[in-house]
Amino acid sequence: MLNYIWLTLILLGTGVAVYSDWRDVSTDRYRNGVGVECTLTQDATPAGTTAGGDVQAGGGTITVVASAYSAAYGEKLNPNLSNLLNLSNTSDLSDLVVRVRFLGAVPTVGDSARVGIEIPVDETTPSLWREIQAAQKTDGFLRATLRGDARGGWTLTPDPVRFVRLNAVTNDGIIRYAKVAVELAIGLIGIMALWLGLMKIAEQAGMVALLSRILRPVTTRLFPDVPPDHPAMGAMLMNISANMLGLANAATPLGLKAMEELNKLNKKVGTATDAMCTFLVINTSSVQLIPATVIAIRAASGSANPTEIIGPVIFATTINTLVGIVAVRLLSKMRIFRRQLEGGKPA
Amino acid sequence: MSGFVDVIQFLSVVAIPALALLIVLTGVFRKVKIYEAFVEGAKEGFTVAVRIIPYLVAMLVAIGIFRAGGAMDILTSILSPITDFIGMPAETLPMALMRPLSGSGALGVMSETFNAHGADSMIGRMVSVMMGSGETTFYVLAVYFGSVGIARTRQAVPAGIIADIVSIVVSVWIVQMVF
Repeated sequence: MLNYIWLTLILLGTGVAVYSDWRDVSTDRYRNGVGVECTLTQDATPAGTTAGGDVQAGGGTITVVASAYSAAYGEKLNPNLSNLLNLSNTSDLSDLVVRVRFLGAVPTVGDSARVGIEIPVDETTPSLWREIQAAQKTDGFLRATLRGDARGGWTLTPDPVRFVRLNAVTNDGIIRYAKVAVELAIGLIGIMALWLGLMKIAEQAGMVALLSRILRPVTTRLFPDVPPDHPAMGAMLMNISANMLGLANAATPLGLKAMEELNKLNKKVGTATDAMCTFLVINTSSVQLIPATVIAIRAASGSANPTEIIGPVIFATTINTLVGIVAVRLLSKMRIFRRQLEGGKPA
Repeated sequence: MSGFVDVIQFLSVVAIPALALLIVLTGVFRKVKIYEAFVEGAKEGFTVAVRIIPYLVAMLVAIGIFRAGGAMDILTSILSPITDFIGMPAETLPMALMRPLSGSGALGVMSETFNAHGADSMIGRMVSVMMGSGETTFYVLAVYFGSVGIARTRQAVPAGIIADIVSIVVSVWIVQMVF
């Protein structure tokens, strides 16, 4: 079953990425390679060293005439403003004047002049340029190229962006998450050691046995295949208690300990027992009583009453845990799931 | 009411040291060799954490591909007729879909929803209840089963998904009833 979910996630992710990149290409969404004519005024003080001793890149100011912009890109330079003023003619609007920073040597006017530039992006930047900047994934700057022409004018062409989604799948999806997974597991080592150590003390002090004895009427019904005094019972109870108190970083080590103990009762290697399935459903349905994180974020977001959701959360979580337990017990009686338990070599 | 928030935040800070202290003191009282016992238990920490790495990589990379590819938006638009039918606002769908996949993703969706609609709006409350009553189902399944090398998960996955769906529907319903 996890096989299918895994496959679905991967296929849907890459499929949608390929489709949306193909759509971007076929509709020419980013207008790659389309330039706009502009004029350039270079700063009076050229690149060099400032009074403070910092090396300063060359800069200047670029002016794009509104009509030139709409001629190049087929959209108005400032659609929000023109809607607001109810103007039909874009040339009535102010032209675009932006500061730029040169990435290379300060260009001289002429045919061969060509330089990379960075343009700071803010809410006054035309929407297409903002989209391109977002796709370029730069830190608040639109990267573009300025080319000079024989008449002393300039053409500004944003650097092309291609395969935005597939790039995201590669970098933000595959490479980043593979790293995150290992970081998560490594980060677990310390907290695992801590709680498994404390658990051992609790075990030898008889606390776990006491907890198991108190809750025996419930646990023997929930996990009929697990002997009431088996260590698995104690570990599961500790895990569920930690979950109820919202101690997520204690719950995981205790839960994994419980799985290890449950696996000692497993008669078939690599196949989940009924008790494991029930235990997992209790874990995935969340039995947390006070959702502290949600309350903290509500408070931070200016809620007038951050805690008003506690009652509904307890209600919802109780219902879904009960439904989960009933579902797991009913499903365990189905033929396909029964058959997987039979035969095979013992664990 | 802010006093109550303070109490809850105090409790969640104090719970872990208090529990650790309780366990250690009970150990002393029952004459357990606490230091030896702790170290003996703690030794297992490393092996368990390392054992889950391959399962974690497999699951998180698949979830990462799903999120980065933009499939969420497509699923939202496909599912919106169904959610309209049960009276669930379309704005809460990203949370419903993200909650079982990724804890940090769901936190992000919750903050975005609060920014767009306000924490005290109907949508904000529904999203809060979904966040509080749900779990990162697929992460838990991968890690727990992975730690003992179980590949045939039998009824655990369908039962977990049923519980998740119930959690979403009940969250929407209870918020409409209470507020």
